[in-house]
Amino acid sequence: MIPLIVAFPLAAAFLTSILPALRRERFSKHLFLIGMLSPWLILPQIINNLPSNEVVGNWSRVSGIEVAVDAYNIPFIVAELILSAFVALYVWGYYPRKIENKAYVLILLLHSGLLGAFISRDLFNYYIYMEIASVASFALVGISKEKGARRAAFKYTVFSLLASYIFILGIGIIYLKTGYLNLALIKENLEMSREINVALALSFTSLLLKSGIFPLYFWLPDAHSKADAPVSALLSGLVVKAPAYGMILLTLTFPINTSMQKPLLTLAFLSMFFGIAMAILQKNSERLLAYHTVSQMGYVLLGISLLNPLAAAYYALAHSLFKGGLFLSVGSLAEHYGTRDLEKLSYRNNKSLMLAIVLLSLAIGGVSPFIGAFGKAMLIENLKGFLKYAFYAGGIGTLVSFTKLNYYLSKRGEKIEIPRRKEAISLSLAILTLLGGIYLHPHLSVFKDSISLVIAIFIFYLLRKLGVFEVSFKAFTPEQFKTLGKEINAYMVLFTAVLLLFLFNFL
Amino acid sequence: MINPEIAGIIIILIGLYGLMTKENLIKIVLSINVVSIGLVLFFIGTGYIEGGDVPIMPREKVVDPLPATLMLTTLVVDVAITSLALALILKMRREEE
Repeated sequence: MIPLIVAFPLAAAFLTSILPALRRERFSKHLFLIGMLSPWLILPQIINNLPSNEVVGNWSRVSGIEVAVDAYNIPFIVAELILSAFVALYVWGYYPRKIENKAYVLILLLHSGLLGAFISRDLFNYYIYMEIASVASFALVGISKEKGARRAAFKYTVFSLLASYIFILGIGIIYLKTGYLNLALIKENLEMSREINVALALSFTSLLLKSGIFPLYFWLPDAHSKADAPVSALLSGLVVKAPAYGMILLTLTFPINTSMQKPLLTLAFLSMFFGIAMAILQKNSERLLAYHTVSQMGYVLLGISLLNPLAAAYYALAHSLFKGGLFLSVGSLAEHYGTRDLEKLSYRNNKSLMLAIVLLSLAIGGVSPFIGAFGKAMLIENLKGFLKYAFYAGGIGTLVSFTKLNYYLSKRGEKIEIPRRKEAISLSLAILTLLGGIYLHPHLSVFKDSISLVIAIFIFYLLRKLGVFEVSFKAFTPEQFKTLGKEINAYMVLFTAVLLLFLFNFL
Repeated sequence: MINPEIAGIIIILIGLYGLMTKENLIKIVLSINVVSIGLVLFFIGTGYIEGGDVPIMPREKVVDPLPATLMLTTLVVDVAITSLALALILKMRREEE
């Protein structure tokens, strides 16, 4: 039953791609929607039989490919299904006729690739599905209208591809030492050795790059901010979650000792604060959201490094919903204003988008009873002392940055018409983050939340008075490098350095 | 004697060197391909068993066919991405003009 969840979208992708050859291009919209929504039919059955696992084609475990759904990946699957359903409705009729069919095929491939990665319990199968999703997303960034999107897509392609190769090298070493690719069998036959440690270092570093954790985030702000709004929502909400799921699989299978935990924990906190600091300095609405993805992936990594994969999975679910919603709502505004400059955008004339953005900002700030609060409550259980305060500071920093976003958006602007459908999609995602939060974690901490909100607004006014938002920040932008080649060389050196660092730490 | 795994890793490192030093975008794509060739060699090496025969008909002692099959999949991904990267380079050139 479980493999069907991937088979339907994959079949729809194939059928949609041959429609132009059959001169039936006008049906691609309908086939696309069927492909995107069909996994919902199987979801109730899967949830009723939780946890379940099966080997595709009823082979034995040794010779087949195992898929499973359990407590650790059901949040990922649910997040994928919810966000991709909303994006499917948003994309319906969004692309111009000339590239419409191709865009639909790519989004279907992305959808099935992600679902395939999330259900997989076999390292190589996981890699293949993650790669299907990645290749589709390279192409989706490449077809964007935005100037510089091709450059961003090329950079994304090169780094993501190199990371995949390093990841397979890691898988190869694991296969060489244990003789299996199936995670359950690896766990049974595992004998830790230096070679396995090398394999873990290689795979963790490459997955960190693919999930955009500091300092390997450099491709992410470009790729996520240059893509079209619905594609950005998919990239930020879901594509970066697939490598996070891979890290969860690794921590569930291999014994992770403190010397491996430490670098991951450090990177998690660095990523959280670096993302927030960069986001506060951005003037481009989409870049601001993209840097928040760097920071929020830090929270997910925090769950992984504290060996609390459930917290990471639920935080990933929360992040998919609110970040997807933010990209869709702010992206709709930006598209109808024809600019991504924060100072020119405004939601004043658009009550439902305003409500959606305010609700989603509260959700990302971790205010209860939104879904973000649930994720944070799960994460904070394992934190002690100084780290706990750092964690609160991260939440306040996020609120500061979103106070800034709402401050700029609430200024008066020209009146524009935004289609009802786009408003409705953004608003329903926002309400879903509220309802999801109430369903998963029904509690209210009015005092704590109001204190953090007041501190955040105070810091925001302080920063504004100090003129931090006027600073034009030239460093860390693609323009500081002479050519794209030089930029790739420089970041490649950085990637190699982090790889070596991890190798020394894990050995 | 050098074994195929070591040779594969050396080729991967050569590819990485190319990625760190070459500015030309086509050369960057080629360096990525060098990395992938090294990877293929590494995997083929992991499947090799001393004195093993081809795993076609049931025999006494055969090499492990799984790594070679996996590498076929990786090569397909490699071809797809190389063409995509080259197409992106073409598009970028056209945008600059």
